[in-house]
Amino acid sequence: MTKPIEGEKKVFMTGNEVVAWAALAAGAEIMYGYPITPQNEIMHYWTRMAPKYGRKFLQTEDEISAGFTCTGGVLAGKRAFTATAGPGNTLMQEPMSMAEMMRIPTVLIVCQRGGPSTATVIYSQQETTMTCYGGNGEGFRIVYSTATHQELFDYTIKAFNTAWKYRFPTFVLGDGYQSKMRESLSIYDPEARNIEMVRAEPYVVKGGVPGENRDPAHLRNTYNMEEELYEVIMDHAREYEKIAPEIIEYEEYECDDADVLLVAHGVVSRAAKGAVKELRQDGKKVGHFKPVTLRPFPEKELLERAKAAKQVIVIESAYGQLDKLVKSHLYGCSTPIAQYFRPGEGITIEEVVQETKKYL
Amino acid sequence: MSVQPQMPKSWRSETKPHKFCPGCGHPLILKALGEVIDELNIADRTVFGCDIGCSLLAWDFFNVDTIQTHHGRTTPVIVGLRRANENVIGIAYMGDGGGYAIGSQHLVNSAARDEKVFVLLANNTQYGMTGGQMAPTTLPGQKTETSPYGRDTELTGPPVQGPEMVAAISGENAYVARGTVGNVRQLKKFIKKAIQNVMEGRGFAFVEALSLCPTNWRTNAEDTWKFVEKDMATYFKVGEIKVPGEKKEG
Amino acid sequence: MQKRVVEAYIGEYASGKSENAVNRALELAREGEKVVLADLDLVEPFYTLRPIKKLLEEKNIEVIAWETQQVMGLGEAGSVLKPEMRWVLKKEGNIILDIGYGVEGAKVLNLLEGFQDNPHLKIYVVVNIARPATATVRDIVDYVQKLGNVDGLINNTHVGDDTDVKTIQEGARVVTAAAKELNLPVIHTTAEKRLQGELGVSDICGNPVRYIDRYMPQTFW
Repeated sequence: MTKPIEGEKKVFMTGNEVVAWAALAAGAEIMYGYPITPQNEIMHYWTRMAPKYGRKFLQTEDEISAGFTCTGGVLAGKRAFTATAGPGNTLMQEPMSMAEMMRIPTVLIVCQRGGPSTATVIYSQQETTMTCYGGNGEGFRIVYSTATHQELFDYTIKAFNTAWKYRFPTFVLGDGYQSKMRESLSIYDPEARNIEMVRAEPYVVKGGVPGENRDPAHLRNTYNMEEELYEVIMDHAREYEKIAPEIIEYEEYECDDADVLLVAHGVVSRAAKGAVKELRQDGKKVGHFKPVTLRPFPEKELLERAKAAKQVIVIESAYGQLDKLVKSHLYGCSTPIAQYFRPGEGITIEEVVQETKKYL
Repeated sequence: MSVQPQMPKSWRSETKPHKFCPGCGHPLILKALGEVIDELNIADRTVFGCDIGCSLLAWDFFNVDTIQTHHGRTTPVIVGLRRANENVIGIAYMGDGGGYAIGSQHLVNSAARDEKVFVLLANNTQYGMTGGQMAPTTLPGQKTETSPYGRDTELTGPPVQGPEMVAAISGENAYVARGTVGNVRQLKKFIKKAIQNVMEGRGFAFVEALSLCPTNWRTNAEDTWKFVEKDMATYFKVGEIKVPGEKKEG
Repeated sequence: MQKRVVEAYIGEYASGKSENAVNRALELAREGEKVVLADLDLVEPFYTLRPIKKLLEEKNIEVIAWETQQVMGLGEAGSVLKPEMRWVLKKEGNIILDIGYGVEGAKVLNLLEGFQDNPHLKIYVVVNIARPATATVRDIVDYVQKLGNVDGLINNTHVGDDTDVKTIQEGARVVTAAAKELNLPVIHTTAEKRLQGELGVSDICGNPVRYIDRYMPQTFW
């Protein structure tokens, strides 16, 4: 069977298509999904292309089922993924909490839309808290927040590898703007860039006869005693803390001498970067820090930059979700933190410039 | 001299005696299932999924790969697994709350999509593990912790007819039956036909087993059997409801 | 009624259908012609004509498209066919139809009264070879054959702001080869006005170049 992408090529497409192509390139074997805007074209493109490359798709009855069937696919040893948005992400938290507890490396692409409730199908960054910490759990997850189509492609591929290497559920946090935006990017076969795909392995039906030449896999998420659960969670916590430094990613733009540090993630960081560019032309000492991984969070790195600055401004299309993350990680830092919140609305370069000028 | 009780080979002796209540119906169902797994020699490719509710006590019951999932979500986990690996014989085991209440959308849609999985459901007319609350299958007038004056069908509807519903919405190659722990030989026959149906890739398979819950029914042995064989049988007709290839007149 | 223009622009997702349709409508309006521009996108509720409806109306184009305030629960309640749309082919003057993507291709035209026997109707497929699904001659031929009856191809190859003449000429070569195999004409190559000096009046395969302004980036949602 031919590869979906030979080598590398420059293309022009929407973010949702980017995800479908990236999943194909990453060797994802099956997608489980349920329709919701603005996620639909991931399924549309996956279902158009998957049969050509021997990949599968199941449209389920709801997102609860899409999430749980996805865990089933992973347990069968396949690179399996799903995608959702908004109220679908809410339903998805139940299966993702099971994935967290049982260390099932699911990959979930989130196309954030307005919230709470049905709200709009358009855009927001209001699923940040839920994607990082949703479900009844501790947020032992890996969350990549992307800003460009290139990142969407790169990190969708990476998500499969991170998930299978560390066995924590992994999320690519996009949004409705990225889903629908059109821009150019390079798509590639991971091999062409020497990216080795981490092998997926079955958790069950691994060969042999259980009870005869191997023990049966008895996988559970239910425990009896407080102490028993405590041990399991602490094991997860220790493991998560240990691997965090290997996973953490962030981007700094003109941070070296920045008096004002703009913190933004995802598509909003494009506006922050643009504003820094513009203000730097006027000689203003402004920099931008973008956490790429929201879980685990680049705490040390941000703390260092924040301490050196005179003012931090958190900019987001939500009412304080990134802000909470930032504040919890900047504990002990005395630099004042200001906010620019536009819940459910896009943020432009001009707005950021104007807002930043208040602190210059 | 101690005599070991006869156990199916696919039962895991290390986890016996099992953890179900004395007089529980689950071990009878699981014995029938275990014997079928032995007879068909499929322990190496069977994945047994169990739900929340008393069925989860079966999480280490078999020498078979087992996944204990969430309440109502065993069906989609097993469906997802079977979709990803067609060699797997997927069995989703649950109670009436898991199958007919919290997980009903999964049962309905898996049946409608004709997923090649076997759903085995124990019907004991209430939520056993949480302390005996009303379930979709609770009989009219039956007292439970959340129907303390007896189930009022005006307020809460009649008992759900699960297999009849599944038969109505599934494809013509689905296998659907209702057995009872009062007739394990027959129940085992239904389970075997159900597993063969998915093994041969024909279609969905569903068996409801009328089960026993003396603990929550607060019944002695005699009344326990009377409840399943008389009271439950009044509402839930035992027998095969849909058999692939069987042409029916009328 | 001799010179009446009735054109439907169809093509793959994000191929540039709307941009070509809008520019064509504007061109006709500039010539002082009466123009109706209809948005027949039923799959996606974004990147449609809705946000630039007012702007186009100011330029003397009659636009048949929903306005955001007219719809309830954009994207949630489905893409509802605007009733006027059904009768659009009964309108006088020139008609430009912007047809959305979807597996049913040109079948969406069945929703329009009088579609079968409109003698003026031309259906043009907009192709951008930077879109992986229509990247090669083979892909384009397969894709166009699935659409139903069409009258010509438009080479709309570009990669957004990074577009250069080389990209467009490569598109011209591939699209022209596909057109040949399909026994269809290439109606024109589309290019942004900024490339006019370098590209000239026709592309490397001799197809005329139609220069456009980009309006669609403003129409995001």
